[in-house]
Amino acid sequence: MNPDQQPTGTFLPDFCRVRILFVVIMIAELLAIVLTLAQPVMPGNYFFDLAMISLFTQWIALSCIGLLCLSRRWLNRLRDVWAVILSYLLILAVATVITELAWWSLYILPDRGDFLASAHVFFFLRCVGISAIAGALALRYFYIQHQWRRDIESAARLQFQALQTRIRPHFLFNCMNTIAGLTRKQPALAEEAIEDLADLFRVSLMDARSLTTLADELTLCRRYLNIESHRLGKRLQTVWDIDALPGDALIPALTLQPILENAIYHGIEPLPDGGTITITGTRQQSKLVITIHNPFPDDDSVTHHEGNQLAQENVRQRIEAVFMGAGDLKISRDNRHYVVQITIPYQTHENPDR
Amino acid sequence: MKILIVDDEALARERLGGLLTELDPAIALTQAENGLQALESIKKEPPDIVLLDIRMPVMGGLEAAHHLAGLAAPPAIIFTTAYQEHALDAFEANAVDYLLKPIRKQRLQTALQRASVYNRSRLSVLRGAAAAERTHLSAIVHGNIQLVPVGEIRCLKAEQKYVIAVWPGGELLIDESLKSLENEFPARFLRIHRNALVARQHIEVLGKDRDGGYYLRMHDMRTTLTVSRRHLGSVRKAIKQLAG
Repeated sequence: MNPDQQPTGTFLPDFCRVRILFVVIMIAELLAIVLTLAQPVMPGNYFFDLAMISLFTQWIALSCIGLLCLSRRWLNRLRDVWAVILSYLLILAVATVITELAWWSLYILPDRGDFLASAHVFFFLRCVGISAIAGALALRYFYIQHQWRRDIESAARLQFQALQTRIRPHFLFNCMNTIAGLTRKQPALAEEAIEDLADLFRVSLMDARSLTTLADELTLCRRYLNIESHRLGKRLQTVWDIDALPGDALIPALTLQPILENAIYHGIEPLPDGGTITITGTRQQSKLVITIHNPFPDDDSVTHHEGNQLAQENVRQRIEAVFMGAGDLKISRDNRHYVVQITIPYQTHENPDR
Repeated sequence: MKILIVDDEALARERLGGLLTELDPAIALTQAENGLQALESIKKEPPDIVLLDIRMPVMGGLEAAHHLAGLAAPPAIIFTTAYQEHALDAFEANAVDYLLKPIRKQRLQTALQRASVYNRSRLSVLRGAAAAERTHLSAIVHGNIQLVPVGEIRCLKAEQKYVIAVWPGGELLIDESLKSLENEFPARFLRIHRNALVARQHIEVLGKDRDGGYYLRMHDMRTTLTVSRRHLGSVRKAIKQLAG
């Protein structure tokens, strides 16, 4: 989440920010234009009127925004209803004061107070009435914008929660069974498997958006494959060709591990003699390409690999979200081989946009 | 008591073997790595109880159980599984005994005491829940299970009460209906006649004889199969898909 974002709980926007200031000035100016156009006067006077009305509306707008900015901390502590009522009253108060000031500075000079007494009331009611309506509309605008932003944020949060990678139950229980088996005769290996599993769990409980280094992700992959090799024995062979990959490159946590898990679940396990998973890494200028290659049974009748696609889609979406479209996941398959190719830009903590 | 442990993972077999020996040192243990090996082993040395893992390469546990159910005196079966979300409901609904890994010794003991024999109709419900096609069809010939890999079969012909599965190596009389086979393997077999299904991938050519009737020739088969007019359209479509 961006640190400069306002807290989502409050309804009033941060009136001290330039963007909100701009919005308010625009609203006031549009109001001035509308009021000018609505007047039945001769064509020559439009610009003069616009200037005068702008001066008036901007005075009110800027004073309101100044006061709202100053009282923001205090208003934010109140419930939404009270915040709305008080800010609305504040707008009306500002409008009243400025209307009075305008009246006295414009019309009192020629010293004809008696004559203008009724006009004064009329002027006052007009100005405060317009301010009341414009202020209500402005507040309504900010309220709707706030709602809209909150909806978007909650939708994004839900999506990220859905994308959170989780250890598959199938793997978990198989792993527990492996550890139960190892405990009897090879307690040292059992201990190692528990440590590996703990590391995997720690990472899978992290935020789905968190970045890790490629070196850490590859270590995690080795831990995962270590657990699986206890279970599958000689059926699982791995070949690593990753010397070309820089260890400090950033990658979303659990990008490669789910792909390996798929390779084992759909590729190695159903093969009676197992097979070899090959992990290859190449560097092409500012891009890193990691390829995971595995055999799978030549089973033409059954092609429902729903879980498979789900995990891949999850990884693809996270890569796209993190690298803003600069990353990519490609799948290719022939009769007996399945290849997943992950492309990411080379970014590091020191150099986010290398 | 003779017990056969079937699991593709060596550690899992070892652990289960250890538990069984602790329960009763007199138990005679045999092991198999998958369903097909289990059937071989059972042919040589019939056990009293089979501890059968569900997810295994080559042939899974549910299918192996299905083939076993055809025997005159099938062994009792206890399924073992690490995790099978949907299938477990079906197991419970059919009161089929299953053990969850890692298996507890006590739980194993009670399972052994009430291990039961299952019939095919109950097993087919389970297979349906696991949404798995069989890899083999089977028949009992002279008291033994005879298997034919589904991928080898060229055609299935209905003949009175039985279905004949034909493949280049021979023929097998199967005690199942053509309709149920058609439902189980919709992607693999195609109906070409009221009494025949053919394997889509083994279709060689569609021909027309002198009387205007249509026939199919299959790979590695000399005899041809009659295509009824009713099914001609779907046969042509299947051939087009094969070519594309």
